[in-house]
Amino acid sequence: MNAERWQEIETVLQDALDRPPLERASFIENVCAGDEELKTEATTLIAAYEEAGDFIEQPAIARDAYVLLSAEAGREIGPYRIIERLGAGGMGEVYLTHDTRLSRLVALKLLPVYFASDETRLRRFQSEARAASALNHPNILTIYEVGESDGVYFIATEFIDGKTIGELMREQKISLAEILDCVEQVASALAVAHAAAIVHRDIKPENIMRRQDGLLKILDFGIARLLEPAKTPDDAAGGRTQTETGLVLGTVNYMSPEQARGLPVDERTDIWSLGVVLYEMLAGRLPFRGATRMDTMVAILDREPARLSEVANGHVRAAPLLQSIVDKCLSKEISGRYRTVSELLADLKTVRHQLTDKAERGIERRWKLTPRSFPRFVSSIVGVVLLLAVAITATLLYRRSARLNAPAATSASAPRAVKLYSQMSESERFQFVAEQEQRISSMMGDRPVKLDDSAVRIIKSFVDYYAARMIGPPDDDSGSMTAVYERAPPYVPLIARSFAARKVPVIIGIYLPVIESGYHRCSESKFGAKGLYQFLPSTAQNYGVSREEMCDPEKMAPAAAHYIADRMAELGEDSQSVTLVLISYNRGAEWVRDSLRQVRGKENYARNFWTLLANREALDDAFRKETANYVPSFFAAAIIGENPEVFGQRVPPLSTLAQQ
Amino acid sequence: MKALTADNLTGLLVEWREGDRAALERLMPLVYDQLRRIAHRYVQRERNDHTLQTSALVNEAYLRLADQNVGWQNRAHFFAVTARVMRHILIDHARRRRYAKHGGDVRQVPIEEAATMSMERAAELIALEEALDELAQLDPRKSRVVELRYFGGLSLEETAEALNISLMTVRRDWRAAKAWLYRRLKETE
Repeated sequence: MNAERWQEIETVLQDALDRPPLERASFIENVCAGDEELKTEATTLIAAYEEAGDFIEQPAIARDAYVLLSAEAGREIGPYRIIERLGAGGMGEVYLTHDTRLSRLVALKLLPVYFASDETRLRRFQSEARAASALNHPNILTIYEVGESDGVYFIATEFIDGKTIGELMREQKISLAEILDCVEQVASALAVAHAAAIVHRDIKPENIMRRQDGLLKILDFGIARLLEPAKTPDDAAGGRTQTETGLVLGTVNYMSPEQARGLPVDERTDIWSLGVVLYEMLAGRLPFRGATRMDTMVAILDREPARLSEVANGHVRAAPLLQSIVDKCLSKEISGRYRTVSELLADLKTVRHQLTDKAERGIERRWKLTPRSFPRFVSSIVGVVLLLAVAITATLLYRRSARLNAPAATSASAPRAVKLYSQMSESERFQFVAEQEQRISSMMGDRPVKLDDSAVRIIKSFVDYYAARMIGPPDDDSGSMTAVYERAPPYVPLIARSFAARKVPVIIGIYLPVIESGYHRCSESKFGAKGLYQFLPSTAQNYGVSREEMCDPEKMAPAAAHYIADRMAELGEDSQSVTLVLISYNRGAEWVRDSLRQVRGKENYARNFWTLLANREALDDAFRKETANYVPSFFAAAIIGENPEVFGQRVPPLSTLAQQ
Repeated sequence: MKALTADNLTGLLVEWREGDRAALERLMPLVYDQLRRIAHRYVQRERNDHTLQTSALVNEAYLRLADQNVGWQNRAHFFAVTARVMRHILIDHARRRRYAKHGGDVRQVPIEEAATMSMERAAELIALEEALDELAQLDPRKSRVVELRYFGGLSLEETAEALNISLMTVRRDWRAAKAWLYRRLKETE
């Protein structure tokens, strides 16, 4: 068909389409008399049109939005490879990246394009960020590097897997003890910064993160100023909140009166803002609020906030000093505020001591008299202390296990009284699985997190299932788990060497073949994957194993270790990501990233597999029906392999064979 | 990625209008970057409903870029670039997707289920792309109407504006192109 012929055809087509459907056939019959080809063309096109329905009516993006979003993963900026996007702030977008030189996770903030085109601003940014990067305090986010790569300016900082105080406030009630702890941590960081003549300028709940172990980190030190347009007092009075490039600045709620007026600021501006945060945490509402930003600024300049006794009476009854602390932070006159953060810190300590005294007295009396808020407060103090203890232990454990690439030697742990799994009650089984999951996690280099009961139950269901298959003669082909575990030992030393060489936790190498191939050295699946580790021929080839060599463990073990090391580099190695690496072995890193993105922001979000599992309703069918089981079955396999005696097996714990 | 300044961006736009394809290649990253940022926001905002309104997306991208005094001659011009960028991104992804079937790192679970774009969808897009190229040989304007509407997410009215043709013509082009493409894809199935 050429263009002229098409025009002829189209004319007939259009005329036919202008007619009611029932008349079209006869119309074509008439018009195309004697031209069979034209008739066929017109008829088939009409048929196609009538059948097409909503074909291409929905724009492509409605279906493929995630393509647009996922394509950024893998992009490299200097030595940083993007893993996923964490969020966006006034200073540009923040990404989780992997530092390929130092092999660690790094949060990378990319500055907006307009920023780089403004020389003055860029220089100011660089000098301020460098000054801030000299600050060294556990509560201040560590800046690794301020740099540029191909015209993209960035700040590389440590990656904090946690939540902002803002998120925490929205999600749960924060106890008085936690509030004090939080404000003290921030204040002690500010004291160090102020001593170095650095003012934060933008203290607000969204700039304070709490790590899972409770440590707070202040973000964006000294950077806020860079966002402020060079403004005149007129602009400030007009409540101007947009930069010249249209970027909407963040909230004004924590702004000090001098900032609202556009006057010079000093460290007492931070004291004001921290006072607002303290007030908000105590009262559950902001001290200065207005319907618009302008109204809020008017309130900051002119109004007195409601007394705490009206909005947070429980807390004030517990600690009357709080009102005067808040008043002193929120003095409109700079001279009326605490002169230094240290003075504020001293007052906060006094409150805490008063509370501790009360709490001690309270514990003695708590069973007799119970003013409503009292026992809750006591229990929260006790809770915090316990949490802290658990967190410290967990951190120590994690640090230790993370350094040990070889699995923890069982001989080092206390001898356990062996009770057979088959003899345990349901609740004992549950308890056993929960404890062992923690142990396997730390052997994998993950910081163990407390799993919710449903996750433990899923692992337990696999342990039960495998345990049932332990019984009976170890017949090679019956799918007996006893046979699987008895096939494993000869391969373990080779696996251990291969995985240790790639710095991948050996325990991953030992238990993947249990669930992948049942330790058949050449088990072929319906997808054509084969070998101890079930590679597709193409993947094997990419990792230096030819099709013929796929059943050779000497070749496959190093290839599997290499493959997993690559997934670890791709997804990042941090305290909880190993479970993500496991699932990526099954579904690919791209899926992992997309799925994390879908559940980010859900309750109790953490960057691990268990979060995906807990939110599986939001994820795809294939995950719910099939692959959600992959990681739990891995844990089940490892729990049995590391506790063979509990399951009546004669082999030693498999990881102990790794050191031979 | 090379940073683009407002000045050379205007230059690129002019060059592209004058037929320099290389200029388009250099424009793409910028438009793409904007689309991506905005898409992120939309997806976050609409967590429970992942369908994106392309038209809203494109309009917002336009407002943002235009706001930077970048010198887009008119909205229509911008829409044309955006639609081309979207087409490029999706087809590129579809091709990589198809390639992955033959050589990617897949195991156990069929890759079709494992990614942002199903194999079926990738094949569909590639087939559409090929058909659209054929249509362009026969009737370039219809091919552009489809590009603007399907990849750019433009309404009939916006498409008319972008191509500087009447709304009636767009309607007729659209229905003929739809019939032609649908039949073409049926043939290859």
